[in-house]
Amino acid sequence: MALGRLFRKQSGGGATAALADPPASAKAPSATTDFVPAERQPPETDPLKQLAQQERWALIANAEGQWRTHAQGEAIVAAAREKLDTQMALVPEGIVELPTSLDDHVGAEEAEVHVQPFLLDIRAVSNARYQHFVDANGYEDLDLWPEEIWPHLIEMLDMTGRPGPRYWRDGRHDDRLATHPVVGISWYEAVAFARWIGQRLPTEAEWQMSASWHLKSEANILRRFPWGDAMDHTRCNVWASRVGTTTAVDIYAQGAAPNGVLQLIGNVWEWTTSEFEISDFEGRPVMGEMPMRSIRGGAFDTYFESQATSLFRTGQILMGRAHNTGFRCAMDLTGS
Amino acid sequence: MTTETETAAETQYCLICEHGNPSEAVLCAHCYAPMALIHDAIRQNREPCIISVIGDSNVGKTVYLGFLLDMLSKRAGDFEAVPKGAYSINLQQTVIGHLQRRQFPPKTPSEADQWHWAYYQVARRVRNAPWFDLVMPDMAGETLAAEVESPKTHVVIENLLSKTAGCLVLIDAAAAALGSPQPDLFGLKLMTYLDQMFAGKRGEKIHNPVAVVLCKADYCPQCFDAPRVFAETNLNRVWNFCESRLANVEFFATSMIGSLGFGGDEEGNVVPIPLHTAPRGILEPFEWILSCLE
Repeated sequence: MALGRLFRKQSGGGATAALADPPASAKAPSATTDFVPAERQPPETDPLKQLAQQERWALIANAEGQWRTHAQGEAIVAAAREKLDTQMALVPEGIVELPTSLDDHVGAEEAEVHVQPFLLDIRAVSNARYQHFVDANGYEDLDLWPEEIWPHLIEMLDMTGRPGPRYWRDGRHDDRLATHPVVGISWYEAVAFARWIGQRLPTEAEWQMSASWHLKSEANILRRFPWGDAMDHTRCNVWASRVGTTTAVDIYAQGAAPNGVLQLIGNVWEWTTSEFEISDFEGRPVMGEMPMRSIRGGAFDTYFESQATSLFRTGQILMGRAHNTGFRCAMDLTGS
Repeated sequence: MTTETETAAETQYCLICEHGNPSEAVLCAHCYAPMALIHDAIRQNREPCIISVIGDSNVGKTVYLGFLLDMLSKRAGDFEAVPKGAYSINLQQTVIGHLQRRQFPPKTPSEADQWHWAYYQVARRVRNAPWFDLVMPDMAGETLAAEVESPKTHVVIENLLSKTAGCLVLIDAAAAALGSPQPDLFGLKLMTYLDQMFAGKRGEKIHNPVAVVLCKADYCPQCFDAPRVFAETNLNRVWNFCESRLANVEFFATSMIGSLGFGGDEEGNVVPIPLHTAPRGILEPFEWILSCLE
């Protein structure tokens, strides 16, 4: 499979060329007062075409042999590879230092993690993309969920009591938010979706590598933001950007990482697969009311710029279904 | 020998309790409100509006007010806001400084002479919008509770609330959602106290705008979906009182902390740690109060 270019142009060419600058005002419609349900697509009956309809490109590409006898197998597999090539970007090998304490003064203790190269979604998972999972009854496929969470699946409901993200209705997303990141999903839902499409969540170290771009080199350059070292509210969606809600996952091209990954900073916090472990100012472990997983990147309502950097660590309880938390998927290179 | 005129000229009257104080006084000797308030009011040549943020101890008044003032000074929403006097910035400086370091600000002292006061000029950023002079004190919940239990115990609160043009009543929605009756009961006490303060003719409803702000709503997201429904279900005593006695009341949900952890302090006590902030619903109650006052 041809992998995407390591360094995508940040403007003027490539997959990011057509991406729009953030609108001056991008208020999403109110979730409670108006709602336009996304239309349901008639499902494909052919298994391979169904996988393509559901955008489960990794499953198609990684089981190429299975489709050799399919009349359109070659074409669909080629299309799947192309999709993965354009939707994912290579994050190179590097070293990250994860702060181990809330005390973030210079010289504070950090854990060094060596990150192997891997592939990362260029965009956070959108409502439209997540809709396939809901339409395929993903919430009822117990193979995707750890056994301890089975009794709690009945809590993962939308506003009308149907299985789905918290802010959806009748199992549908608001069509006007089709390209916005899916939010109102717990860590378990993010993991289940990633499994369903043949991928996984990034680890916290992988996420930080993507955003800080701390390559293994003598230059030892570390970025506070994917685009550099200074916050720029025009390159991301945080509180100071004055948007006040989520935006589409494919804008803020100027805030992309060198490999083209978008919106690692701002818009929505992103679930990682890593447990959130950190010490308080006295060196004791910080506990949550429930186990937490690391979330990174900040969101549209992140007030402090220091909390929307490539290095800031925080967590959220596993069952938390916040209005400002989404995710993106990753994939090992060996699976590509 | 000082003449009566000269004595009167040296006397400044506290903005809150109208008690006379020497002109050089920093705090009112009667109610401990800063005398800078009256100095600034005289300079503006306008009677300021007092907007009070009240609620039980630990409900989040300080954090709410600190965020509100900081957002206003950043021209959030429709507003343009100018602090009058450096003292007006102390509260937001304390709150923002602590939260940025992932710490909650210290508990507001019970002693009124140690409270933070903010005096801001605020206007909507539209043509010919009127300017409001707003005085917003950060009151200690314990002192408020003591005054509600035994009226006239704390002069500053009685005087403040009697002059209040609009009120934000903060209630712990998280505790209410968990089934605790305390938020509802204390909220009812506060409402009853306000009723006595603002009551006009027998049977007449109170017209001062009252925003009931459901705090810590990140623990019960249904608050944001329908705050009125939440209040009616989980704060039924407050709800019923509002229906009966308040002509101008609205319900809002707010949260300030995105995620909460627990650690230890120097003495080994368990302390809550704001892991990251996600302010939500801060401006809306204030906007509504101001729209009522315009």
